[in-house]
Amino acid sequence: MKEKLEQIKAQALNDIKNAASGDALEQIKVRFLGKKGELTSILKMMGGLSPQERPKMGQLANEVRSALESALENAKSAVKEKELAARLKLEKIDVTIDGTRRPVGKLHPLSSTLEKLEEIFTGLGFTVVEGPEIETDHYNFEALNVPKDHPARDMQDTFYLGENLLLRTQTSAAQIRTMENLKPPIKIICPGRVYRSDDVDATHSPVFHQVEGLVVDKGITMCDLKGTLEIMVHKIYGENTKVKFRPSFFPFTEPSVEVDVSCPECGGKGCRVCKGAGWIEILGAGMVHPRVLAGCGIDPEVYSGFAFGIGLDRLTTTSHKISDIRLLFENDNRFLQQF
Amino acid sequence: MLVSYNLLKNYVDIDIPAPVLAEKMVMVGFEVEEMTDLSKTMQNVVVGKITKITPHENSDHLQICQVDIGEGTVQIVTGAQNVFEGATVPVAKDKSLLPDGTKITKGKLRGVESCGMLCSGGELGLSAGDFENAEVNGIMIMDDRYAAGTDMREILGLFDYVIDFKITANRPDCQSVIGIAREAAAVLNKPFKLPATPLATESDDINDYISVEVKNYDLCPRYMGAVVKNIKIAPSPKWLADALKKSGIRSINNIVDITNFVMLETGQPMHAFDLRELEDNKIIVRNAEKGESIELLDGKVAKLSPEMLVIADGKKPSCLAGVMGGAGSGIKDDTTAVFFECAKFARDSIRKTAKAVGVRTESSARYEKGTDIKNVEYALNRALSLICELEAGEVVCGRVDKNRGIEDDRTLAVSVNKINALLGLEIHGEKMKEILNSLLIQTKLSGDTLTCQIPSFRSDIEFTADIAEEVIRLYGCDHIVGTALRTENTLGGYLPKLELQRKLKKYMTALSLNEIYTYSFIAKGETEKLGLSSDKAITILNPLGEEYSVMRTQLVSSMLRVIATNANRGNEQGEYFELSKRFIPKSLPLTEQPDELSTVCIGLFGENKDFYELKGIVQQTLEFLGCKNAKYVAQNLPPYMHPGRSACVYEGKKLAAVLGEIHPLTAAAFDIPKKCLVAEIYLDLFENRKKEIEIYKPLPKFPAVTRDLALICARDLQVGDMLDAIKQGAGKLLESAQLFDVYTGEQIDSDKKSVAFKLVLRSANETLTEQTVDGTVKKVLESLKKIGANLRI
Repeated sequence: MKEKLEQIKAQALNDIKNAASGDALEQIKVRFLGKKGELTSILKMMGGLSPQERPKMGQLANEVRSALESALENAKSAVKEKELAARLKLEKIDVTIDGTRRPVGKLHPLSSTLEKLEEIFTGLGFTVVEGPEIETDHYNFEALNVPKDHPARDMQDTFYLGENLLLRTQTSAAQIRTMENLKPPIKIICPGRVYRSDDVDATHSPVFHQVEGLVVDKGITMCDLKGTLEIMVHKIYGENTKVKFRPSFFPFTEPSVEVDVSCPECGGKGCRVCKGAGWIEILGAGMVHPRVLAGCGIDPEVYSGFAFGIGLDRLTTTSHKISDIRLLFENDNRFLQQF
Repeated sequence: MLVSYNLLKNYVDIDIPAPVLAEKMVMVGFEVEEMTDLSKTMQNVVVGKITKITPHENSDHLQICQVDIGEGTVQIVTGAQNVFEGATVPVAKDKSLLPDGTKITKGKLRGVESCGMLCSGGELGLSAGDFENAEVNGIMIMDDRYAAGTDMREILGLFDYVIDFKITANRPDCQSVIGIAREAAAVLNKPFKLPATPLATESDDINDYISVEVKNYDLCPRYMGAVVKNIKIAPSPKWLADALKKSGIRSINNIVDITNFVMLETGQPMHAFDLRELEDNKIIVRNAEKGESIELLDGKVAKLSPEMLVIADGKKPSCLAGVMGGAGSGIKDDTTAVFFECAKFARDSIRKTAKAVGVRTESSARYEKGTDIKNVEYALNRALSLICELEAGEVVCGRVDKNRGIEDDRTLAVSVNKINALLGLEIHGEKMKEILNSLLIQTKLSGDTLTCQIPSFRSDIEFTADIAEEVIRLYGCDHIVGTALRTENTLGGYLPKLELQRKLKKYMTALSLNEIYTYSFIAKGETEKLGLSSDKAITILNPLGEEYSVMRTQLVSSMLRVIATNANRGNEQGEYFELSKRFIPKSLPLTEQPDELSTVCIGLFGENKDFYELKGIVQQTLEFLGCKNAKYVAQNLPPYMHPGRSACVYEGKKLAAVLGEIHPLTAAAFDIPKKCLVAEIYLDLFENRKKEIEIYKPLPKFPAVTRDLALICARDLQVGDMLDAIKQGAGKLLESAQLFDVYTGEQIDSDKKSVAFKLVLRSANETLTEQTVDGTVKKVLESLKKIGANLRI
């Protein structure tokens, strides 16, 4: 019987070694270890052994069984590994073929630029507000220190809709509404559409967008204005960008400045973008005119403030190097999908 | 304002080159629009002396000249007939440049070598009055005193720059050479030199020549005048003609040029009347009478209205005050006596008049910005002094000066600390005083107080902030250094409706729509193309053109235009949205601000687009906006929608959206060649709705059971009604019911359709038994039966 067991063991191990597939191993398992398998049938003959031999043979039979089981297990995983390797090899694809793209909707570049500005200013504690696009003469001009027939009205060509109603020429109109309704400290930005009677060309559009900023509180200084704008400029154009103030005139601020930044294209050396100047003009700003403050019921002896107006369209076209402002309003798919 | 750099040097010692000066002026608030180096406009043009002329063998009109150009003699072929041996002429040498951009190089003319060109006045950019013989047809023959080889630029005063300063509306005083010079003097810290006004002996009495009456001092606060007799009309001297030319004014004759030069120099417009033309020897400054008109110098006849100011003689308006002289009033070649007018007219009056008449002159432009009442006297004296200097006539004794009193200069006391507080700097009071004095604002410092005497030409200075601006602009804006805001804490953030709009835009892009921006005004025809009336829209009174004349009451037409552009450019398909405003007037014509209603417009085009894709987007968007119980109704559709493939969406009784396929006629009207769908969602309904925070619902603990139902019903039975019936029948256990097939055709009666739904049933408390499910399905089928839908067997 011992020989028989040894023989089965040798036979089975040999078969296992030569088995090529999972199925073959399964057959081997059935053939030797199954209910009617060879090892099982030998064990059934154990009854005919002497009580002395029975334990010995039992032990031997168990050893053979476990040897076979573990050999089978090992062989199975080896086969599986092989089969997996073969399958993986078969499943190989060409990864240079283009991926299947999901359609992605894009925000218009004006919106994404505005979003950047809004994030910067809300982060500084500013509130984003809005005002009507159809304004009264009072809010668009008079309250901003531009009386009727004042030469400063020449600065902007206005679309009129009625005697005292017009399409706002500047988001500054919203300054007044805010100051009338809120008490200092006031920190707002007001983005929106503005309108001026400019003929359409590569750099002009009768409809464009501004982001007005206003801060009013005790002790606000022109240096604070610069500090605030520097944060904005550094976030948009990079931390090495310089900010320069140049005296200018706006009826609703005094002192007034034009704000230039070192050319983001050449860093100030002079190039085509900045027309050799090394600087580009990005916005107008200044300290809120005392007459404007007083008109809104804020005592200019106690409070001071600054205001600025960013041209969103220009900021968008310069940062994306869009050569023609008309592209912004044409909305060609191939344009929209680029941003 | 065009200013010659060399001219400026007469008023202040400028010791820096023009480009450096320009840069410094920019930094004190005078933007340079353009700076022209006149020496670059002409190159290699010199004085030549013709030594010999011989005929050209191959031409009967060309002549061959030997010309001494200083450095040697060159041969030049000319077609001009007025040249002669010994003539002094301008010579454009080989490789020269003329003002009109023409480059002259050596070449052959009919076989004969020509090393340049002899020039006419015109070719040198000169016209009559600019230079002797400039207007002559042929070569400009020059005075023999000019040496051969002399650079023509030297003779023509072209070693100069013309700087075009942009003058801001608050600085009308700088619409003058003197104004710019005053600023330059302050910038360079040099004295400003006001030209003296010496006069020759005067005779007679002005009252024997003219009487002046001012009837409206509000519109004419000051009217001055003087008479000059024995006028000798002549061309202006070269310096005067040059100065005018560089500022863009044509030289006419000595008298007219003096008035123009004084205007350029002082900013104060003047007018010279031929005394003979003033009937009754009278000047009456009055409002125009109803029905009066005047023929202006440019030949245009202006109809006058009573709010306009005229300068009349005893009989008729002779001049439209401050704007333009009348046709007959001006200086003629035989004028012998002149009345010089020098006045201050009210800014707004001139502005309105010039606008109403449609005439804008150098004079009206200056009056419109504002002139200085005290400057009137200086300007008049300056003009008379130039008359004497040019020996153009004799000044008659006495002046007219009609005014209601000239106010003394204002005094403004400001605090040094307040200026520093506004600027955020610590500038010493003494420094401020020095700066203000350099700007001719006489200032004293006592403790913290600066007492400033504001000269009459600085009407812009009223407040501490104005003084602060003067200080910082001269102290240097570069001293402003960025500091952190030190306000109380503010929360920051967005107004709720802007927050919603911002999030909505992102949501729309997540639905794979691209955002578009279009103009808020459209052509009238656009609304009509939609089959809507444009009567209810606000129109712009002064539009850029018909194309941009109506404030839109809908966003659809702009969307359709964008779709048409894309489709016609070969883009296969597109998915867009725009978030903008509709302008709905409360009444027309517009007397109050209209409603500006936030609206989302969605547009899809492309062959595989259909109603259900659009509806899905609209449904998701409405859900995002918090719309409850939206009802889709195929009624009351706008005329631009396909009547069978469109719907209105109601929340309660309110119209929340309109969606559907574009009517084929609309598509044709907008030139859209592809299938196209649009929706408008009326965002204003939702923007003040408080967005609730989503509350977690526990995930289901028990399994769901699904049942598919195939039903047979009449073709026109709507799926919406069937779903309602299913919901009613199934009650609480229904988790969802989804349509998965609609079939008509074989095996189905021709007036019937088969509709299949997948029902998902689930209980929150237990695993559903077969029995419960069957019971529920039975109820569903009963409910469906009531509306005529039966189980398909």
